[in-house]
Amino acid sequence: MMKFSKIAASVAFLSVGVSAGALHAQTAEVLHWWTSGSEQAALGEIRKAFEAKGGTWVDTPIAGGGNARAAAVNRMLGGDPAAVFQFSIGQQLRELADQGLLANVGDVATAENWDEKLPPLIVKAAKYDGNYIAAPINIHGENWMFYNTAVLEEAGIEVPKTWDDFIAAAEKLKAAGVTPIGLGGQPWQERIMFNSVLLGVAGREFYAELYSTLDDDLLKSDTMRKVFETFAALKPFVDEASPGRNWNEATNMVAKGEAAFQFMGDWAKGEIIAAGIEPGTTVGCAFAPAIDTAYIMTVDAFAFSAMDGEHATPAQTLMAQVMLEPDVQIAFNKKKGSIPARLDVPADSFDVCAQTAIKTLQDKKTHLVSTGLFGVPSAVSGAIDDTISNFWNSADMSPEEGQAQFQQAISYAK
Amino acid sequence: MALIPAMTITIVCFYGFIIWTFVISLTRSRLLPVYKFTGFEQYVRLFANERWWTAMQNLAIHGFLFIGGCVVFGYFLAILIDRGVKAEGMFRTLFMLPLSMSFIVTGVIWQWVMNPGLGLQEAVRALGWTGFEFNWIVRPDRSIYTLAIAGIWQQVGLCMALFLAGLRNIDPNIWKASRVDGIPVWRVYLHIITPMMRTVFFTVFILMSAIVMKAFDLVVALTGGGPGFSSDLPARFVVDHILNRQELGLGAAGAFVLLCTVIAVISPYIYFELKKERGGRGH
Repeated sequence: MMKFSKIAASVAFLSVGVSAGALHAQTAEVLHWWTSGSEQAALGEIRKAFEAKGGTWVDTPIAGGGNARAAAVNRMLGGDPAAVFQFSIGQQLRELADQGLLANVGDVATAENWDEKLPPLIVKAAKYDGNYIAAPINIHGENWMFYNTAVLEEAGIEVPKTWDDFIAAAEKLKAAGVTPIGLGGQPWQERIMFNSVLLGVAGREFYAELYSTLDDDLLKSDTMRKVFETFAALKPFVDEASPGRNWNEATNMVAKGEAAFQFMGDWAKGEIIAAGIEPGTTVGCAFAPAIDTAYIMTVDAFAFSAMDGEHATPAQTLMAQVMLEPDVQIAFNKKKGSIPARLDVPADSFDVCAQTAIKTLQDKKTHLVSTGLFGVPSAVSGAIDDTISNFWNSADMSPEEGQAQFQQAISYAK
Repeated sequence: MALIPAMTITIVCFYGFIIWTFVISLTRSRLLPVYKFTGFEQYVRLFANERWWTAMQNLAIHGFLFIGGCVVFGYFLAILIDRGVKAEGMFRTLFMLPLSMSFIVTGVIWQWVMNPGLGLQEAVRALGWTGFEFNWIVRPDRSIYTLAIAGIWQQVGLCMALFLAGLRNIDPNIWKASRVDGIPVWRVYLHIITPMMRTVFFTVFILMSAIVMKAFDLVVALTGGGPGFSSDLPARFVVDHILNRQELGLGAAGAFVLLCTVIAVISPYIYFELKKERGGRGH
């Protein structure tokens, strides 16, 4: 009797579970910070694909990356997590996994062979304990140099290939009354320019080793001194109103021909398109001057909360699968201005700049990571932004002092 | 008895969280609170941080200029209005209007006004005075002063209103007596009225100090802490480290040091004033 009632109860429980499951299995709440027009349009492509496969998408946009990350973590700690949430991959995400707050989507990843298709550095950052805890959906490049072709032509300047060339060209432009560099003077934008100088002067191997080891000897080296000297030499080439300017305003300066160059990530293409210009025409794109070819990657990713246990729910699994489908990758990334995280996706429908990037990344030696959100721990990333910005904005600080502060700040933060 | 709920809330939410912040500041917490204690390591890191010291120094400069400016200008405006200007109501409203705006809006307005490329400097130059310079907001050695300018502009109306209320409470007989004695007006204000307004000054000081300590939104909107971190303030440092940089422990250490600083600076004054008041009543 006892046994029977137990079975009956569990059958009843199961059937309830199944019917509830059928209703809710494919429902996923997606928490993200993509609130601008192009970002929403891009995310809309994923949503469309998810819904076409029978999923129900519950949208929770929260403006501002910092706010959205805080909200995602708070809800997780409060026991009401969003099933899928935008987050940066790397150390912070692993910290959440340490606390058992994340589900892994290893099954999909194995089935779809993500290991082979994603760049190895991204694979490493998206995994915890050998399993994927996030779906990396795109690659943005940060070492781009956008330039106004008409302005360069008028001044009789070729697109510079080395930083020495660049400085010579900038002097010519300044004499002609054009602002050589359109810079948004905010710490992260100054850091993007600094990292381009670092890569350009010291080379990709130095860059990769410096940021993966944060080694004192490298930070104190003569190579690093040269990087700081070159960076300091760029100070006279920005206009007075630069501090505090938003990146898109700086992009517009280049589009209008008020400034000749901007060092910015490829999201600037969105702004260029919005100004009615096809990237690669009036506004050209090239990698920032460098002694070898490399691509500083930053990645947008979605992670998955542990709903019950460490295994992903069907909805989460479906989401992970949809996000990395080739068609979705193309549609999404064309709207976002980035390139697919999967390197095996056909490149021909993308713009010239994106095609260059996809082609470049076929060589694994070119893969580098940004210090912005996933290359280094966030404390180090913050220390880098602080010291670079301080150095850039202190007219009387020598490259030696800048280098010393940089080294000290990193050693305290790591 | 009726106070128990309020007291519980105060004790838990206020003192409880102060203690919790201190506990967190002794751990190595980054993104999430973890209770692995590392002693005063976060404080060592904090005190080695250049940006923190810039922020603390800025707090002192900003506090001095902002409170000083609000008191001086507020009192001055109040006196002018008290002397009986025409259209008093209009002036009062005019000076009070900025107060209806949040610090964010104030910051954005002044960011535009002080932007050398499109604000005041450009406007004056367009009028023909091409040598005119007003570029403090983009100069690391001047940016902190722009905070005081915008802050005073917003809060001076409130100070004026408080001072005006105080002035209106002065016994008219004092004025009559001073007129009989032939004392110049400025001396009456300086030597007789001002000492009588002691409690109003105290109120204004406390109110403005609170605004200085929690100043966060104004910096964010006006300068973003820049150029570099030259106009950073401790509150922004703390929020930035806790929310954006996942440095919970370091942020908590900053918050605790800030609290200690506030207590060290403000409490002697409060103690002094309250003691005096109590003593005065006793007589």
